[in-house]
Amino acid sequence: MTLSAADFAFVAALVRRESAIVLGPGKEYLVEARLIPVARQAGAASVSEFLAMIQRNPDPEAQRKIVDALTTNETSWFRDQDPFTALTKHVLPELIQARAASKHIRLWSAACSSGQEPYSMAIALREAMPAGWTYEIFATDISGEMIERAKRGEFTQVEVNRGLPVQKLVHNFERVGAHWRVVPALRSVVTFQRMNIAGPLPNLPPFDVIFLRNVLIYFDLETKRSVLRNVGRLLRPDGWLFLGASETTIGIDDNYERVVAGRASAYRLKSAVPAGTAGKE
Amino acid sequence: MSLQYIPTAADLNTIAEQVWSSYLDPEGINPFLPEENVAVDSEIHASVSITGSWHGHVVFASSMAAAKRAAAAFLAMNEDEVSEDDVIDVMGELANIVGGNVKSMLPSGCFVSLPHVVSAPANANHWPAAEKICELTGTWMGEPIAISMWQSESESEGEATQ
Amino acid sequence: MLAIVIDDSRAMRLILRRILGQIGFDVVEAEDGQAALDLLAGMEKKPELALIDWNMPNMNGLKFVTAARNSPDLREMTLVMVTTESEQSQIVRALAAGAHEYVIKPFTSGAIVEKLALLGLVPSGASL
Repeated sequence: MTLSAADFAFVAALVRRESAIVLGPGKEYLVEARLIPVARQAGAASVSEFLAMIQRNPDPEAQRKIVDALTTNETSWFRDQDPFTALTKHVLPELIQARAASKHIRLWSAACSSGQEPYSMAIALREAMPAGWTYEIFATDISGEMIERAKRGEFTQVEVNRGLPVQKLVHNFERVGAHWRVVPALRSVVTFQRMNIAGPLPNLPPFDVIFLRNVLIYFDLETKRSVLRNVGRLLRPDGWLFLGASETTIGIDDNYERVVAGRASAYRLKSAVPAGTAGKE
Repeated sequence: MSLQYIPTAADLNTIAEQVWSSYLDPEGINPFLPEENVAVDSEIHASVSITGSWHGHVVFASSMAAAKRAAAAFLAMNEDEVSEDDVIDVMGELANIVGGNVKSMLPSGCFVSLPHVVSAPANANHWPAAEKICELTGTWMGEPIAISMWQSESESEGEATQ
Repeated sequence: MLAIVIDDSRAMRLILRRILGQIGFDVVEAEDGQAALDLLAGMEKKPELALIDWNMPNMNGLKFVTAARNSPDLREMTLVMVTTESEQSQIVRALAAGAHEYVIKPFTSGAIVEKLALLGLVPSGASL
């Protein structure tokens, strides 16, 4: 019943790529125990059989489930910090100039899971945007269950302990029973919808900022290409795309150029990066 | 003061889940399994009193075996290394954590006492004139555990000493 | 780096000691605010960090925070409350008294490490 070294290595690599979690030697029992329900759900008789199945036929959703099963409660607010710092310090000031006419910006959290990412964006915007501006955040995920959860905007004590500075907790959340809930003012700027990013995308008004973080890693090259192409069509010409810390468009899609924003990397469409753009560094 | 929001077993379960995933079962292999109407013959119980805007108690009761396991898990020790003091301390801290989280669902102006641990069954006689608000029962690794919340009917109400 | 853990529960002090040890802190302990002040008074090198429970006998955590912020010797210490007190109003009180961060019990070890990372107190790459 114990996992083979190869199977364990496969799972450890997957989890390492997706999160900061390192599954060191000795954690085989943990992987086995946590993956049994996932394997059963997929119709496999054992975890080994399940892993063999998905190594033969890579299945992004199954891979997601594996990572979720091994990183419960690990979802963090303002994940990785740097993209959110970049948003506040580089991206928003530029957009405040560029969108002065409409005073409106649109963001998309394209793998929003239980909602920490879009609500983190909402908190960042609430703090950074001047009066008189409006903004909306579109949040999608392949899991209907996650979307329902995220809509409620309720989090446990343990979840709000993760990566959320306490000042942001008291200003943006209220107690509800044993939970903390994002305040109505912030919930109202986020719209949740179930969507498969790897499929055809609906026609939507383009976005100024897209977060597509830690999703591409689950796809093969072909799918990565089509996702980046489709997402690119929904990005404003001077918009910003943020990927996961270990991800890049390089080698996948030539239409983007990498831009350094503080300590984060962002990707912008080559065709129309405005001349004389300041604040690239 | 009567409660605007009345905590339920589901609330106690939310708290319990977090206590287990934080301290007693961080790897998610041996969770607490709630079961309704399980008769819990406890052998040890820890309680905190709540005073101020509302008066009552929160009780964490279990078998001695469960208490030893909890102490071992909390302190990352083997069960045979765990002393009686360790068990009392951990039970007290568990009651403190659960009680504190229950308090946050109550009207403002409540205070939680320091925990009180008794190596004896928890039964209603300990808190005369107290009414049960909600209770969560279940098992952990086969051992019974009950977490309950009680409202006092009068200001001055003492726990019957053993 | 040195930290002080202030909590009346020995079990809790042990857990926090272990977490802090894993990220490179040496740890001293005290079981209430007064005992902590007494201990700190006798220390030549003061800790950079204090993890403080709220509800303790003799002197509670809020009073300790106030005392520490008012003491020239201790005001440089980073103060993190680790407590079951989780009402918004209590958190606001603690921050107003001078606490820098706040962890609600129950917490996972990852939560403590992340909070400390937010405060710049963790060498990068620490994981559990």
